[in-house]
Amino acid sequence: MTFAQHLRFFVRSFFLQTGWNYLKFQNLGLFFVMWPFLKHLYKKDTDAIPSVTERYLSSFNTQPVLAAFCFGALAREEEYIAQTKNLTEFNAEINNWLSIKRGLSITTASIGDRLFWGSLKPLTLLLALLIWLLVGIPFFGDQTVAQQPPLWYVCWGMLAPFVAFNAIALPVKWQGIRISYESDGNASFGLTKFDWNRTIYYAKIIGMFFTIGMIVLGLIFYLKGLNACDLQFITRSVIVLFFVCISFITRRLRIPNMYLYLAAVVIFNIVCYL
Amino acid sequence: MTPELWSLCVLAALIELDTTHAFQFTLSRGIIAGPIFALLTGDWVAGIQAGIFTELLFSDISPLGTILPPSATVCCAVTIALHALGIEMCFAFIWGVICATLFAQAERYMRKRRVRLLPLWEQRIVKRPDTINRVIFFELAASFVMNLVLITAFIWGAAKVMLWLIPHIPSRAFYACRFAYMAVPWIGLVSLIPEFRLKKR
Repeated sequence: MTFAQHLRFFVRSFFLQTGWNYLKFQNLGLFFVMWPFLKHLYKKDTDAIPSVTERYLSSFNTQPVLAAFCFGALAREEEYIAQTKNLTEFNAEINNWLSIKRGLSITTASIGDRLFWGSLKPLTLLLALLIWLLVGIPFFGDQTVAQQPPLWYVCWGMLAPFVAFNAIALPVKWQGIRISYESDGNASFGLTKFDWNRTIYYAKIIGMFFTIGMIVLGLIFYLKGLNACDLQFITRSVIVLFFVCISFITRRLRIPNMYLYLAAVVIFNIVCYL
Repeated sequence: MTPELWSLCVLAALIELDTTHAFQFTLSRGIIAGPIFALLTGDWVAGIQAGIFTELLFSDISPLGTILPPSATVCCAVTIALHALGIEMCFAFIWGVICATLFAQAERYMRKRRVRLLPLWEQRIVKRPDTINRVIFFELAASFVMNLVLITAFIWGAAKVMLWLIPHIPSRAFYACRFAYMAVPWIGLVSLIPEFRLKKR
């Protein structure tokens, strides 16, 4: 794979989910990513292009960052298909292509969802919360401020999660294309080069540590300056305790947070009018 | 609608593309979109608050498989726009959450409708594979227009209702909504604990 091809895969991969639909999911996006490579590969055999196009327009769905591993592996397998000399070889390679497309998309979706959506996204959220809390932007308790904080503080909290997420996602995407192209099925198309489970495990441990720390820090900010015997202190403590307990329950019952919030609006209104 | 609200709608429609249709740089996250919108209206604290609260409230719904979470961008845009019109954050945020949920429903409907166009696109692509570039561009443009129309309609509608309603809202309702608003960080933070829980094998 030349550098230009690699770059084209990388740039086009940002549009994988354009045209996402409930019938074939990312099929249009996958073909958009693969098309320049396929065009180059079959430039001397243009008769093959309609059937190749149909194959790539079948259903495909995976996590957008780790989809890079699918592109590289499919490109390599497509080269094998293009080089086949008889129908038996061709059918065998087509079967390989199909199993790579199905198997790899499921594996990358599972790893990507757990790593990027399940760990990295909430972890970077906590990073932003920590930065904004430390520079004195209130979001626990009384959310009014006398004056606007410096713009620099706003940018810090905003840029930190953005950079942290993309500093991991973009290199994984870039490297994923090349590694999967150069590896074979025995090495799970390069997926085994990274210890995903260990990375996810440590991300979750750090995340849990930061979440509990943030709750404690939030409590300190929320109850700061109040006397322990004060009615306001007791009211605030009861509200926090109530919502902490009820959140655990609703989470177990798989009720989304937003319904809990909207229910809180209704309940508080009823209580205020009693 | 002031020019700054119009520009907020256009910016929100563009940023919303980042959620699914293009890039996925996470620009559409609440904690990033919120402060960006606030740079337009000038109230940075409101932007950060709207961003944090949106992200914490929706943190329990991940875009796994075909799951479509409420749009954090729409929630932030509506909240910040209403706040810029002088509506309290605790009221504006309720509208933000409702509009974000409605937007997700509209997006789901559009994705279902797109299935009808799919055979036509596929036919054209098989005949002339270079058509894929046009299809992708069309899909992006159509999504942008849909985002812009919906976000503008949500902000306009919510502003109309709230500006009419505000003089009639009693102070008790204000305190009730404010209490509920203050509970959002706790609801969100607690829901992160199961998110980071290690699953037993």
